[in-house]
Amino acid sequence: MIAGSNLENILSSGTFAVTGELGPPKNGDMEVVRKKARILKGHVDAVNITDCQTAIVRMSSLTAGLIALSEGVEPVMQMTCRDRNRIGMQADILGAAALGIKNLLCLTGDHQKFGNHPQAKGVFDMDSIQLLQMVKGMRDEKRFQCGEEIKKAEPRLFLGCAANPFADPFEFRPVRLAKKVEAGANFCQTQIIYNVEKFQRFMEMARDLGIHERCYILAGVTPPKSLGMARYMKRFVPGLDVTDEVIQRLQDAKDQREEGIDICVDIIKQVQEIPGVAGVHIMAIEWEEAVPEIVKRAGLSDRPEPKGVEPVLISNQAITEAVERAREEAQLELKGELDKVKAEAQASRELVVKEKEKAASEISSLKKEIEAAKEMVSRKEAEVEKLTKELKQAKEALEKAKSEGPKEVVMTKEVKEVQGQTSLTAREQQVLQSLNMGLKALKDVLGLNDVQFEALRRFLEAEFMLQFGTSVSPEVLPSEAKKEIQPAAIEATKEEVVVEEVVKEEIAAEEEKPSERAKEVVNLVAKGNVALHNKDYVAAIEAFKKALEIDPDDEKAKEGLEKARELQVEQMQAEAKMAEIEGLPPCPEEISEEEWKEKWVIRFTARGNVALMKGNYDEAIKEFKKALEINPDYEKAKDGLKRAENREDIYIPSVEAKAEEVKVEEKPVKEEEKPEVEVKAEPEEKEEKKEEVEAKEEKEAPKVEEKPRPKVELKAPEGEGVTELEVAPLSKDEPPLSERAEGIPEDVYKEVCSGVIQSVTIGEGDKAIVVGGETTLPFHTFEGDMPNPPRIAYEVLDSPPEEWPDALLKYYSDVINDSAAWARKCVNEFGAKAICLSLASTDPNGANVSSQDAAKVAQKVIEAVDVPIILWGCGNAEKDTETLREITSLIGDKKVCLGPLTDANYKTLGATAMAFQYPVVASTPIDVNLAKQLNILLENLGVGLDHILMDPSIGAVGYGLEYTYSVMERIRLAALTQQDDKLSPPIICNLGREVWKAKETKLPTDAELGDQERRGVLIEGITASTLLLAGGELMIMRHPKAVNLTEALIEGLI
Amino acid sequence: MSKIKGFCCNYTMSVDVDALKEGGLVPEGLEIDRLACTGRLEVPEILDAFTNGADAVFVVGCQMDKCHNLSGSYRASKRVRYAKKILKELDMDPELLEMFFADRGHSEPIVEAARLMASKTQGNSQDRDQ
Amino acid sequence: MVKGARKILVLGCRGCVAVCSAGGDKEVKILSAALKLGVKRSGGEIEIDEDTLVRQCDPEYIEPLNERAKDYDLVMSMACGVGVNFVADRCPDVNVVPALNTTFYGANLSSGEWKELCAGCGACVLHLTGGLCPVARCAKSLSNGPCGGSQGGRCEINPDVPCIWQLIYDRLSKQDRKEELKNIMPIRDWTTAGHGGPRRRVREDLLP
Repeated sequence: MIAGSNLENILSSGTFAVTGELGPPKNGDMEVVRKKARILKGHVDAVNITDCQTAIVRMSSLTAGLIALSEGVEPVMQMTCRDRNRIGMQADILGAAALGIKNLLCLTGDHQKFGNHPQAKGVFDMDSIQLLQMVKGMRDEKRFQCGEEIKKAEPRLFLGCAANPFADPFEFRPVRLAKKVEAGANFCQTQIIYNVEKFQRFMEMARDLGIHERCYILAGVTPPKSLGMARYMKRFVPGLDVTDEVIQRLQDAKDQREEGIDICVDIIKQVQEIPGVAGVHIMAIEWEEAVPEIVKRAGLSDRPEPKGVEPVLISNQAITEAVERAREEAQLELKGELDKVKAEAQASRELVVKEKEKAASEISSLKKEIEAAKEMVSRKEAEVEKLTKELKQAKEALEKAKSEGPKEVVMTKEVKEVQGQTSLTAREQQVLQSLNMGLKALKDVLGLNDVQFEALRRFLEAEFMLQFGTSVSPEVLPSEAKKEIQPAAIEATKEEVVVEEVVKEEIAAEEEKPSERAKEVVNLVAKGNVALHNKDYVAAIEAFKKALEIDPDDEKAKEGLEKARELQVEQMQAEAKMAEIEGLPPCPEEISEEEWKEKWVIRFTARGNVALMKGNYDEAIKEFKKALEINPDYEKAKDGLKRAENREDIYIPSVEAKAEEVKVEEKPVKEEEKPEVEVKAEPEEKEEKKEEVEAKEEKEAPKVEEKPRPKVELKAPEGEGVTELEVAPLSKDEPPLSERAEGIPEDVYKEVCSGVIQSVTIGEGDKAIVVGGETTLPFHTFEGDMPNPPRIAYEVLDSPPEEWPDALLKYYSDVINDSAAWARKCVNEFGAKAICLSLASTDPNGANVSSQDAAKVAQKVIEAVDVPIILWGCGNAEKDTETLREITSLIGDKKVCLGPLTDANYKTLGATAMAFQYPVVASTPIDVNLAKQLNILLENLGVGLDHILMDPSIGAVGYGLEYTYSVMERIRLAALTQQDDKLSPPIICNLGREVWKAKETKLPTDAELGDQERRGVLIEGITASTLLLAGGELMIMRHPKAVNLTEALIEGLI
Repeated sequence: MSKIKGFCCNYTMSVDVDALKEGGLVPEGLEIDRLACTGRLEVPEILDAFTNGADAVFVVGCQMDKCHNLSGSYRASKRVRYAKKILKELDMDPELLEMFFADRGHSEPIVEAARLMASKTQGNSQDRDQ
Repeated sequence: MVKGARKILVLGCRGCVAVCSAGGDKEVKILSAALKLGVKRSGGEIEIDEDTLVRQCDPEYIEPLNERAKDYDLVMSMACGVGVNFVADRCPDVNVVPALNTTFYGANLSSGEWKELCAGCGACVLHLTGGLCPVARCAKSLSNGPCGGSQGGRCEINPDVPCIWQLIYDRLSKQDRKEELKNIMPIRDWTTAGHGGPRRRVREDLLP
């Protein structure tokens, strides 16, 4: 029995249960509840007391339930989660249990929206299932929801839940009921059933889940009071399925109330037939009078006599009776107590007698023991005599030894042993002390006089000595007792004893010093051994050395020292080895130890490859071995090692051969172009225009901007396209700003920035370039420093370009099939200061060239030129990671710049870059915040801001340049004026590919759009100059003329 | 004399306002802003017109399905609706702002709109007098 | 709020409220225009300046206000409540009032329509519910399935509101995860939902 409620009794007895419902009033009148309770009394087994149903304020369920209980009707208290949190609910549950409520129906509750206070805050601290769980926990585990123990009187409640077979999703409904049962529901009352067929299906599913065996299911029914009510329920009550048949029956009925009752009875009869239905729950809302009639017509009126339905709170008279009863009970209890005490007293008396007897027998046995002891004493006497003799011999031996030489020498092994034995261990001392105490006790018991006692003590002492092979040092036994020895009693032994004392004292005195030293030696050796064990060889050696200082002959110390030294050397060798392999910098947090090691394997292999290429085989072997020490299975390192050992090299010859070929091819081209350049140089028109510009600029003198007009130079030759590549320098002979701005206070036009842009070095050696480092806006040299001019890198492709217009392609047509030659041409002919190798062919959506092949091309390019190289992947994060890693494994420490790093691959590529100390390009899609975020991520990884170039994503003029401009400007302003150092890396602009992708660069020459090449050059030049003014430090460009124009602009502005 | 402010688009407004005024066809206090498209009209501009002294404001755009810019007058009508809501919040008569649609190059709807709005302000000023 | 003020700064925020068309540049303009009209009609005079900060939830944008707002009787913040509070916290001399009633965290269903999708309760269960939130999207924040008011996929409180538990059920069924709904979700800990006092998050790695 769970709670022992009437409902529980009925259900567990297998009787078909009937429950009713009672809605408390919307006022404080107790009579309303009483009246309703009286109507239902005797016709139902329990009555549900609703808890503010449909969220309308009513008398509380607990109170109304108690009133019903006082009428002899068993309440099923309903509790919703809508109005109270777990504190309030648990409080009410405790109160309900205290006042005799035994059934609790747990509900989530109707939404407050439907009630008379729709503005209320719905609490819903938990749902009905969790409420069941909570109450079950309170009841069965005696724990509050928080886990705290309920120390006394846990609420014993029979728990119920509701189930709606007509709500959606229908298939989930039985599952949800199962959850409720799992959570603690002992019984369940369903929503009002009109559609019996659907309910049957529900029950079928519920039976499949075995719910009916774990929980009593009561089918909910309601007599429709009128046609209007039925229609209202059909239309407006969510989750209520009123069938058309019911509506029809009411429509056709003469007396709708009668018909309503009949409908209800019919449904009861039908559900009674459904297996697993344990009862019905009749909800006659505001029509309680119908219930007795329904029960009668359904043939259920024979209700069993209710059991245990008793109110706890009752009238004064009842209280008096209860007090009387309690008093009687108390008296009875008191009498019982008294009898018990008496019995106990008797028992203890008996016990005393028994104890006395036991004590007597114990005393007699003690006496026997004493006798035995006495016997033993006499036996010992004889043994003492023997001992005395031995002692004498020992004394003689000692004296002899003394006369033979210095103490140390005398300390033979034998003596040492004696010494070892004579110095008592703590345990032995303890034994002796206990013996002593025992003896004293014996003395008291036996009533021995001091002399007798002393004798006995001596005997035992001797016995002890014999047994343990040791003598008792004077400190152990109280010396007092010794002095008190009376010759009268045991005269024979007296002298010997005294002699023994003397001898012992002498030995002790002589042995004290060496014993301490020896002890120290032993201690030191032990210490050494411990240190040895802990692999602390330095400490071990120290300890052994010290021990040998004291005793140079101690074998153990010698042995230990030797071993320690050996091990130390071994350890150092091992450490050296480890250091060589693991001389890795600490692994950054972002990646695992494994990955870090793997990177170093690649790095060592790469170094090895580099050495191999240089022909430095020994170095190569060393590096490969290092790699193999970390990862013995690394194929590339194995391969390299084999090659190095065989002194073979596949790389250098092939590369050099190709380079040679290319050079031969190149020469004619060069010669062709050069003369043209010279012929066409510097038409006069240009000069004039430039002067105009200067004049204009002078007029605008006070204005800070020194904005140049690149167009001016470009206007030069009409109609013929761009055939010459050289560009006249921008005139610099204008008066300095300070002069032009004479008379204007400096602070009017000068705005000094507080931030600094990072300086990033790309490449190595004397061809390395540094970008960034400025403390002012681009070219505002009157406000701050711009130590490094912006730079331009020529873009070289790893495969023949597709869709390049002739205007661009013609400059490279001889080299498009050989990237290394291409790069060389850029450097030797066009004077490129840097190369950007675009690995476009690796794109998985394009040619999808393998990483290995691309890496070989990249390696050749890197070998071919000595200017800094930027490696620019295809933009596919995964593939780029693969390709760039592959390249780094081939080129090793040679400094290149890796890009683009995105949020998808910054970890892997960032770590690679860190390992080799490469600068990287951090690429983000035109957004200040994203750019900053990626910088932060890289910095967290360990890549310094001075190794980052930001690529904000570029749009060519006409293709979103203004957007790029604005983002770059904001980045730069944040870095300079707001000291946002996370945005302080220099900016790289990969603009060539954007420009030459534009439709306008590809359209043929015509009257409206003009010459194709000039158009393209201008677009690239204007894009570049705009980006320079926005703060770009490193431009990646394609057309040599555009590059020259841009360089002239930079030169002129710096 | 009540001040009426009208916003028209480039396509609906093809007549000279002064000529209309001279002919007595529209109220004296009418002032018309010609926009490239009524779709460019923003709510603050409508409100500002009232702030700057207009007693009533109207907007004339292309017929909804014939807007030169496809959805310009549709957008304008939505903004007028929004501005009306604000007027209501400010305790003003939302009817003092209206949206009209006209065919291209026809001035009659503008004349009609101006007159209608003028009549509303009169009613309104009477209300105010009371 | 505006009563008695002669000079007002209407301060928008270019963050989330701008995206939600609630407190960006455009809305600042509309509010100022409406205010001007309203004050003028009531016979008063008022000077209104407009500005929109990049964000009103970062100190660097807010703090310059201390100096700037001295000239104003009132600053009307069109940021979410965070902005108003942040100005009040950081700028002791600025008289700040809200010009935006912050409602919920939602998504933009289509132009001009927003819907609450997250309650920011700090105890996420989305991994258990197929990514659909019963805390924010169930009228009773139920944890263990639909209540009896779920009918035809609609919530009983409003037929326009879908029953989120029906959606969760459908979604998990489709993913073959229906079984998971048999597990009882334990009673929730609401401390993280603001019932444990004002909330604060610290990311140590980002602290200065």
